[in-house]
Parts: sequence; C-alpha cells; structure tokens
Amino acid sequence: MIWLVMIACGIFTFATRFVMFSDVAPRQLPTWLQDALSFVPIAVLTAIIVPAVIVAPDGGLALVGNARLPAALVAVTVALFTRSVLATIATGLASLWCLDWLFY
Amino acid sequence: MSASSPSAISTRSQEFWTGVRQELPLQLGVAPFGLVFGVLGLASGLTPLQTILLSSIVFGGASQVVFAQLWGAGVPAPVVGASVSVINLRHALYSASIAPYLRSLPLVWRIPLAYLLTDEAYAVTIHRLRNEPASPHQHYHLLGTGITLWVCWQLTTVTGVMFGSTIPQSWSLGFAIPLTFIALVAPAIRKRADLAACLTAGIISVVGQPLPWKSWIILAAIGGIAAGYLTHRHSNPETGA
Repeated sequence: MIWLVMIACGIFTFATRFVMFSDVAPRQLPTWLQDALSFVPIAVLTAIIVPAVIVAPDGGLALVGNARLPAALVAVTVALFTRSVLATIATGLASLWCLDWLFY
Repeated sequence: MSASSPSAISTRSQEFWTGVRQELPLQLGVAPFGLVFGVLGLASGLTPLQTILLSSIVFGGASQVVFAQLWGAGVPAPVVGASVSVINLRHALYSASIAPYLRSLPLVWRIPLAYLLTDEAYAVTIHRLRNEPASPHQHYHLLGTGITLWVCWQLTTVTGVMFGSTIPQSWSLGFAIPLTFIALVAPAIRKRADLAACLTAGIISVVGQPLPWKSWIILAAIGGIAAGYLTHRHSNPETGA
C-alpha cells in the first residue's frame, strides 16, 4: 500500500514539473494561477513550521517552558540577516541545546 | 562566461559544468536537509528502503517530510496524497517559467529535465537562461544543476538513514526541519500579501490541531494561499486577471 501511495505521489509531482513542457500545454499559465501558486511555498512551509515549534505532543499549545519557541525566534532573526540555511540550522539547534541545558 | 563575445557558442560540457559549479554552493542548504530527512524517515516508521526510494521517486524535500510524518501517524492514503500534491503544486510555476527555453527539445530531454526541476536547480538555471547568451546547448545547464542536486539529495538521504539510529534523541535533530523551512520562509516575506499567507497558514495550522488525519496541513496551505492571493489582488487591483 505505501509503495502505491509513494508512486502516486511521485507521478503527481513529476506531472506538476512536466505540465508546461508538454506539447499540449498553453504558452502561459493564467495570471491568477501564477499569482496564487506563488504563495504555495510560504503557506505550506509555515504550516509545517508553526506546529513543530509551538504545539505540544498532546496537540495543545506549548508557549511556556518550551525551548523550541525562543530557539525558533533566534533562527528567524539569523535567517533574516544571513539568508543562510546552514547558519539558521546551526544557531537554531545550538540555541535549543543551550536553553534546554540552562533552563528546562 | 563573458558576454563580450556573442559569436562564441557555448559547448555542451561548458554548459553542463557551469551548471554543476553554480549549483554546488546551494548544497550547503540541501545537504543538512537530506541528512535530516533520512533520520526523520526512519523515526517516522518508514523502512530504510522506503525512506531512500522516496528521495528518488518523489524528489521533493518538504513534501517527503510531510509524507513521512503523515504516513507515520496513520493518516489515510488519500489525505497523504492530497497533502503531498498541494505542496508540490508550486513546481508548475517553475515549469511554466522555464518551458519557453525547453519546449522545442525532444521528449527524451524534456522528461528527465522535468524530473530534475527542483527549487534550487530552477533558481540557478533560470538565472543563466535569462542573463547569459542563448545557446543551442543551454539545456545542458539544467542537466548540470539538476544532477548536482539529485546526487547530493540521494547521498545525504542514504547517509541520514545509515546514521539515523545512532543519533541520540536528546540532540533534537528533528527540529532541523522547521529550522530549514524558517531559513527559506523568513527572507521570502517581502510584501503584505506574503505576510497574510504566512499568518493565515500559521493560525490555521495551530487552531486546526484537533482535526482528524492531520488535515490541518492541507487546510492551512490552502488558507494561506487564498489569503496571500486575496491580499495581492486587493493591493494590486490593476494587475488582476
């Protein structure tokens, strides 16, 4: 079953990449669709980031006593200033370890 | 390459290796992501083989992470498929933007180049296509960027799978996933519409936690896209279709 789903996801993903390369594709995507698709990365990635930072394993909000929250804020600051994935991961993880060790 | 001699047409290998060279620095961001995906795939309950093959069958980082998390949580297959699909819809944008340069190629070229069309390969190659002199061999540039990223992604996934079980839980390595995405999202928020997409998706993803099948992922994605699009339309009514 999992293999079927993996292959289906693979075919769909390939199709999204191939769609405009095909002989039957229109020359351009409609403007509204281009505009809407441009928000996919921000919307999707935020939907993964936020729960990973502030939701506890039981599904509740974890705002207090949660080292991931300040560590994520450090990471946002570093990301804005350096635009470096590696620097963001490194400072974010280091902050989490320090905070866990110091306070939690 | 210099623009000073437009008569000099680049060769296949020049294009290919320029693509490889320009793509390499971006692997500093791809490599840790691949490693973490390898670790996380196992932690989510996928087998080593499933984790490794997901990297070549789907070949899309964020969607693979979501696939592993949803499958590991016992989410029904249609919801897993729909979530992965929404995440990967953005590739249609890259496909549209790069198609004018590639559409005349035979299918034996267009199929592998489409498969290799990831965020980072697209970003590097579209820059070359737009800013360097056109060449009959310019598609070799995308082959170079695409293969570089593909090889890095497969190698780091396998490495993550091999060492995943030896990394102690206390290292919180899974946190590297949201950190990777923070590095991509934070600098991308430039306009009010971007912020609207981000805030809406973030709020729905938290409020929607009690919903079954982790369907908050797909709802937050669609809500964020809608909020961004509507704000964009509102701020630029003259460009509306």
